Amino acid sequence: MPYSQIFKDHLEHPQNGGELDDADVVAEETNPVCGDRLRLALKINDETIAAARFLAYGCPPVLVCGSALTELIQGKTIEEALQVTRKQLVESIGGLPLRKQHAAALALETLRSAIEKRKSGGMPAFPI
Amino acid sequence: MSRHSDAEFMATVGDAVIAKMPENRRVYLDHSATTPADPRVVAALLPYLTEKFGNPSSVHGFGQQARAAVDRARREVATLIGARANEIVFTSGGTEANNLAIRGVCEAAEAHGRHVITSAIEHSSVRGICDAWEKRGWEVTRLPVYEDGIVKVEDVQAALRPDTVLVSVMLANNEIGTLQPIEAIGNLVRAEREKSAHKIWFHTDAVQAAGRMSLNVETLGCDLLSLSAHKLYAPKGTGALYVRRGVRLAPQNLGGHQERERRAGTEGVPGIVAFGEAARLAREEMDQRAVHEERLRDLFEKGVSERIVDIVFNGDPARRLPHVANISFRFIEGEGLLISLDLQDIAVSTGSACSSGTLEPSPVIIALGRNDELARGAIRFSFGKDNTEAEVDYVLEILPRVVEKLRRLSPLNKDRKLEPVSVE
Repeated sequence: MPYSQIFKDHLEHPQNGGELDDADVVAEETNPVCGDRLRLALKINDETIAAARFLAYGCPPVLVCGSALTELIQGKTIEEALQVTRKQLVESIGGLPLRKQHAAALALETLRSAIEKRKSGGMPAFPI
Repeated sequence: MSRHSDAEFMATVGDAVIAKMPENRRVYLDHSATTPADPRVVAALLPYLTEKFGNPSSVHGFGQQARAAVDRARREVATLIGARANEIVFTSGGTEANNLAIRGVCEAAEAHGRHVITSAIEHSSVRGICDAWEKRGWEVTRLPVYEDGIVKVEDVQAALRPDTVLVSVMLANNEIGTLQPIEAIGNLVRAEREKSAHKIWFHTDAVQAAGRMSLNVETLGCDLLSLSAHKLYAPKGTGALYVRRGVRLAPQNLGGHQERERRAGTEGVPGIVAFGEAARLAREEMDQRAVHEERLRDLFEKGVSERIVDIVFNGDPARRLPHVANISFRFIEGEGLLISLDLQDIAVSTGSACSSGTLEPSPVIIALGRNDELARGAIRFSFGKDNTEAEVDYVLEILPRVVEKLRRLSPLNKDRKLEPVSVE
């Protein structure tokens, strides 16, 4: 399955890459099987995701899912963000081959991890 | 919908949309994977698809015309490696040649022993056959390579046993291009055989080396040598195995007398004719091709060193094929780099796990003692006779930007001040 034009656009022009100086929470998840990593920083105002930034190490779908996820969740409330499904994320980048679905799973896992950490009042995982 | 880079984030990188090569030409730097068929080769094969379509086994004129063409091609392929024509067995490619060599020798020599010596950096076909043989109860010794990517002859010597029937070490590695000490291993195996009437044979996979450097089976001292046509500007689907006179081989294809009973099946005449012509051209143009490719490769490597930091060159810089560069880019994953370069019409290869469809990164780069990160960030650039300096310039313009962009997105890069990673 060839990558879609939306996928290529994200890869060539990643959205919201980087870190946030004033992040409320930062989470990072790793796929222990293949070593892919995704880091997500969120700025949350009144339970709404005001800003999201990502960093990614791994095959292109990881990077693209990071970029697409930040676009999907910015402006959403925390609860709304938790409703984003893997299907929605994959559709937003024009589909993913079966063997690359793990990249979307990693992105959502990182999002849930960040929100949980925020709910439990945890400190950012990494010094910023 | 078209995205534009986040201005703040990309401010220091610059947008990666850069002027394309003149005439929108794509830059192909993956000649170790395959090469385009040379127009002269295509011209030679075309009549054998149409008016000269005979079956070489047929007694009539059509058949004899095809037979003569196969014989001519056989002589050309033999000449490329300093062999006799009747020592060449045509196959469907390098993988089949490796299968015929290893399985054929092992089956024929089983009564004398069940031990094979090979290296840790063989092509997946040789690796796969050895793994399968191990499951059948054979013992396999996989020789290490060191940071230079080269097998040590002393290790071969130490691994030899009275029940060793085959040593299979590649001539040049397919990922990093390093040249193995085939002549020395050949001498060692020959001495062992003469010393004690020990039934032991030496196979080398020369798929990457053939046509790119001068080869002579007598000097190399090998008993079997694998070749592939599509690495030297002929079409895919044809290969050959050199089998030294006197080497017993159990055929793997049965049911026909072709190829002196060693490989049954109607010969793929057009592919064989093409292989012959490609072998002739490779022999005649070898020096100029090697000089040209080495110059481009060296220009490229120098340019990369000047423009990009945190890189590691893989493989001995001197003892390697002239057209291959293999570089690990720290903090980024090879497939991300490969696809990003592809979007700029530059074709390369990576040993990264994702791209190979496995979960483990390149065993070749790992065998050099590199860590997972360096193995995952390894990219092979392999030059060909038709690449140009303008193409190298173009890649040198694009590559640093793409690397920088991916590094700015990499958590490994961000953490490096916190967790310095040592590079050997």
